[in-house]
Amino acid sequence: MNADKIYTARRPLLVETLTALALIAAPFTLPLFDAAPNTVNRILVWGLFGIGFDILFGYTGLLSFGQSALYGTGGFVAAYLLTRVGFPHVITALLIGMIAAAAVGYLVGLVALRRTGIYFAMITIAIAEVFFFVEFNPLSEWTGGENGLPGVPTPTLDLGFAHLRFTTGWALYPFLAFCYFAGIVVALRIVRSPVGAVLRAIRENPLRAAAVGHNVHGYKLTAFVIAAAYAGFAGGLLGVMQAFMPPDAFMFETSGQLVMQTAIGGRGTLFGPLVGAGVWLFLQDFLQSTLDLGATWKLVLGLVFVILVCFLRQGIIGGLRDLYGLVHRNRRGAESAESFRKTVSATPMPAHELPNGFPGPVLQAIGLTKHYGGVAANEAIDFTVSSGERRGIIGPNGAGKTTFFRMLTCEVPPTAGKIVFRGRDITGMSITDVCQLGLTKSYQVNQLFNRLTVRENLTIAALAALRGKFRLDLLRSLRRIEGLDQRVGQTLELVNLGARRDTPVAELAYGEKRRLEIGLALASSPSLLLLDEPLAGMSPRERVETVELLKSIGQGRTMIVIDHDIDSLFELTERVTVLQEGRVLVEGSPDEIKRNPAVQEAYLGGVNGEMSGIH
Amino acid sequence: MRHQPSFILRRRFIGAGLGFAGSLALPASVSRALAADENGHPPIGTWPAGVQGKEVFIGVAVPRTGTYAEQGEDELKGWQLAVEHINSGHSLIKEISPKTKKGVQGKELKLVVADSAAKPNDAVQAEQRFITENHVILMTGSTSSAVAVAMNKLAQREKVLYVTGISGSNDTTGKDCVRYGFRQNFYGETAANAIGPVLLKAYGKNKKMAFMTPDYTYGHTVTKSSSEYLKEHGGWQMVTNQVSPLGATDYSSYLTNIANSGAEVLLNVNWGRDAVLSTQQAKQFGVIPKMKLVIPYQIPFLAKNIGAELSEGVYAATDFWWTLEDKYPLAKQFVDAFRKKYGYYPEWGANNAYMSFAMWADAVENAGSFYPPDVIKSYEAGRKLQSTVGEVYFRKEDHQLVRPVVIVRGKAPKQMKNKEDFWEVTEVVPGAPLMQKPDAFGCKLGEYT
Amino acid sequence: MITWANFASQLFNGLALGALLALIASGLTIIYGTLGVLNLAHGAMFMLGGYAGYTTYQATGSFVAAVVVATLALGVLGIVMERVVIRYFYARPHEDQLLVTFGLAIVFVELVRWHFSSDSKTVQAPAALQGITNMGFMFYPTYRLAVVGICAVALLALFLVLYRTRLGMIVRAGIEDSVMVDSLGINVDRVFMVVFGIGAMAAGFAGIINAPIVSLAPEVGEQILVQTFVVVVIGGVGSFPGAVLGGLIAGEIISLTSMVNPGYAYVMLFAAMTLVLTLRPRGLLGARGRE
Repeated sequence: MNADKIYTARRPLLVETLTALALIAAPFTLPLFDAAPNTVNRILVWGLFGIGFDILFGYTGLLSFGQSALYGTGGFVAAYLLTRVGFPHVITALLIGMIAAAAVGYLVGLVALRRTGIYFAMITIAIAEVFFFVEFNPLSEWTGGENGLPGVPTPTLDLGFAHLRFTTGWALYPFLAFCYFAGIVVALRIVRSPVGAVLRAIRENPLRAAAVGHNVHGYKLTAFVIAAAYAGFAGGLLGVMQAFMPPDAFMFETSGQLVMQTAIGGRGTLFGPLVGAGVWLFLQDFLQSTLDLGATWKLVLGLVFVILVCFLRQGIIGGLRDLYGLVHRNRRGAESAESFRKTVSATPMPAHELPNGFPGPVLQAIGLTKHYGGVAANEAIDFTVSSGERRGIIGPNGAGKTTFFRMLTCEVPPTAGKIVFRGRDITGMSITDVCQLGLTKSYQVNQLFNRLTVRENLTIAALAALRGKFRLDLLRSLRRIEGLDQRVGQTLELVNLGARRDTPVAELAYGEKRRLEIGLALASSPSLLLLDEPLAGMSPRERVETVELLKSIGQGRTMIVIDHDIDSLFELTERVTVLQEGRVLVEGSPDEIKRNPAVQEAYLGGVNGEMSGIH
Repeated sequence: MRHQPSFILRRRFIGAGLGFAGSLALPASVSRALAADENGHPPIGTWPAGVQGKEVFIGVAVPRTGTYAEQGEDELKGWQLAVEHINSGHSLIKEISPKTKKGVQGKELKLVVADSAAKPNDAVQAEQRFITENHVILMTGSTSSAVAVAMNKLAQREKVLYVTGISGSNDTTGKDCVRYGFRQNFYGETAANAIGPVLLKAYGKNKKMAFMTPDYTYGHTVTKSSSEYLKEHGGWQMVTNQVSPLGATDYSSYLTNIANSGAEVLLNVNWGRDAVLSTQQAKQFGVIPKMKLVIPYQIPFLAKNIGAELSEGVYAATDFWWTLEDKYPLAKQFVDAFRKKYGYYPEWGANNAYMSFAMWADAVENAGSFYPPDVIKSYEAGRKLQSTVGEVYFRKEDHQLVRPVVIVRGKAPKQMKNKEDFWEVTEVVPGAPLMQKPDAFGCKLGEYT
Repeated sequence: MITWANFASQLFNGLALGALLALIASGLTIIYGTLGVLNLAHGAMFMLGGYAGYTTYQATGSFVAAVVVATLALGVLGIVMERVVIRYFYARPHEDQLLVTFGLAIVFVELVRWHFSSDSKTVQAPAALQGITNMGFMFYPTYRLAVVGICAVALLALFLVLYRTRLGMIVRAGIEDSVMVDSLGINVDRVFMVVFGIGAMAAGFAGIINAPIVSLAPEVGEQILVQTFVVVVIGGVGSFPGAVLGGLIAGEIISLTSMVNPGYAYVMLFAAMTLVLTLRPRGLLGARGRE
């Protein structure tokens, strides 16, 4: 339930059990606080609506102001079936509404998800407005226009031995509570599944998530559809609860209220929307009736919201959790490194294939060129790397080294030229596909999943290697992924971060972060590993250690390393390519390069090759 | 809710558990039998729970914010005055409801009020709360017909009586009528049929008309009724119908279209603040006085807001205007009492509110109890009632009050005898011939229980 | 109905609508372009400008005073908002920025509702500008005509500030690359503050001059906000000429669609926005993509 932890607590069904108990106890305890049953029912519906939204926003990081469109769609499809068509089964109608909303969500997602961040938010606002308009006008025949659809019946359940009729107030509560419970159970499974882990990675660093081999767009669309499904079902429940499906469901205010409630309650917690709805509705009732403040309740709520956004980023639940964490901080003690060691085998992790597996050159760049406007960053580079080789690339600043790497991983498309990887033309492919084929890179500036722990970071990469770029295993537990623990464990061993596996990235030292950075690229067990300035910013001692590390990693795989530390690079590699002003200057063994006058010239007096790399 | 006597708290507790149980395996008859029982009637809706004490509550969901806020506040005053008069046994109430002594069936009336902002969802939410917490025995409130229709359905489902506030759509006692709902005021069809002949007489035949319609049920039905009457009986031609959303502020696009349409008469069906803005802007765009303005369904405070220069010569159909005090003694009593309490002449919303409560009191006293089916049958008995516009009665087939429509024409500023003397009553048209046949709009009243 | 007379009338009407939208949108776009913050409270600022002007008008009876006070007040509000709240959000993810400006918008609206009530307030246009002008092909309210001129002057003033002053040059550079500007030793903090103030002023100014046309209510900001987004997206984020062009285009889309069916006017706007976002995401005149 905590969006920052992928691995679940030791007691797996604790959350579900507590939820069930709370839901059962509610009708007996809440009336003592003057809680009206209809208010409680409303809170449940908003809570359910919010579960899907929280998965989209709290877990995947996509802030959508357009959920009302899907809430309304599901609600009106269900209400239409139940009122105008005379469909007999309420529950089936609700499910049909949910499916309709999910389908619409899929189509909307295709359009909206083409952009990210602020543009995405703007598109969702526009979509909410358009849907409201369409529902109100052209489709008013079906939706009843501003009247909405009155006369929605309540569900009945014929169980053979008993006939349950849910009507209103407390009589409807068990039905809604059950729906909410089911919603939570499913959401918890999704969030604990590999898909949930990937969604969190996307929230933290979508670029890296794609670079380690995940189909980011596909997962985002999945989250969007999930949110749509929850919204659609909740919309149907709204109609049932009120005996009337209101057009306000489609209004932008509904989306806005959902966003605020989730932020108030706590995003990324699944229960945040429920808490937020409770706060909202309670304040609305309390301020309006008891204190007779009239319309001012919304002002109070607005202020509460702004204050929470500023100071309590994770909302109320987050605040409570931080409090709990403060109290229990000392208990967290040392990681059980021993138990961890047992799961790791002694053999190093294999590459995608045995190093001798591929006959020809692993990588071949032919005439690779990149122009940015009038500037030629790379010009007609021919570059070949054989299987198992350790190649270095050096060159003064502005030589085009990083651009070259970015073309190899297909982060940027070349202006001209071709890239052949293991006999396959990968020019113009996506970075995700290239990673899946076995070519990955570690970045010059750390691209980590910052709010996750070391182990979780590596899990993300490993999941892509084990499951391919897209898999809808929403209900599968992470524990059930075969080979995951082993792969993560081996990578931890390789980069020597085993003792720090449960530390969040923010608490790592710089050197440790660099090792994790390398580890992320390693976890996909690439056959060709590119390392972009792995020694950047390290102390001399760290450099020595890292060079040893890289040597051991390099066994059984092909590596290309860019760095400014010429000495270390010459130590590490067998062959070096020198780039200057976007072209290949010369290529040879480290000794040859050291003695080459053109290279010395290029570096302007760096005979010893001692460059303090200016980045 | 904090002051509820302990037996209600206990009842709520039991109610929660019962509701719980009732939804589980208990057959309906068993759960009903477990609760209290009066006169052999099983409990229904908020009866008898809501009438156990010395007070009974009435739930009001009225717009206090938004486009219809001004009219909503005015309506509320009407209800408040009615409650005051009923509780004290005021003479005016006794004229309308002769059996009333003090309160209703001896119980004191209390209002609980919420802001609906003319949104059906908010109104339903508020009234549901009132039903569960206060056990309201009567619901009211609407200025938008969308709210009235939603409340009709809620009333029928919850088995709690509902009398409309202002509702002009044909549908409220047409296809969306319910057994538990009643309407006092005039509506699209009667307005059109009343004002139609007046317009034909004043402006002649074969005119070109333009409509401004707010985009919801009230707007569409009034436009339809009016345009059909004028077309059928006078050969008028509708050259354009500009439909705008409720709450629109900028009418420039619509008015430009109208200005270029060649119309001679502009019928503005917009209501509340929309009517004020659209009329003011119509003047700014030169549409009026080039075209003649007609208000088929009058709005309280319209004339005050647009000013007598704009309302001069404008024909409108309305429910009540205070100068009727010269014609009807009950109107005079009402206007005097209202002015004394609030300091201004009442508009028709307040009158409508007052009358609907007075007639409800009469129905209950004649039924002898609050038991909803009995009260309904009392309404349906067709008793003739005295009102501020003469003799009226409820039609049992659709629960619509059969009552006259008042045609007014705007006075010129120099003709006004005081600051609120905006309209001159030209005709009081009897209601019965104006109404459609009871089943013409598809009304099917529901069950009593 | 589609006739020449109506076409000309609606075309002109669209110009009037567009001029106002252009003014508001330019405020939003330079804030977003320079600070990278999408100010969801921009519509609320428009509304606040109207109310500030209304209060001044009630107190002084002078429309000119109302305009001056409203503009300055919103400038101050913008600066304060930037200093007290927005500044702390530059480092936080975009979503948090959206949330906090969204929340502030609600707070502003509710404050106004609390203090002024929900009734709409009318502001009278200055006496000299009341009345109707006969333009030959249509009658047009004189004040609306004046608003076109006023907006044009305001946009010109903005243009002069952006393109003829040192501050404006820094702002435009900051839109292109704020990191660079910072490393050149320019006090980016102060620039941000001033930009936010200018953007708020544009919105507030638009709010008060628009008040006599449509009257004031707490909700007017919401409607204008969404339309402003559309303008900014069509014209190109961060581009002042884009805001002007986008505004005019949006105004014409609304009014020309109204010729056929006024109800669809806003949907057409959104359709246009979606089209632009899909085919040319950086807008018609936008700079490099700033996501």
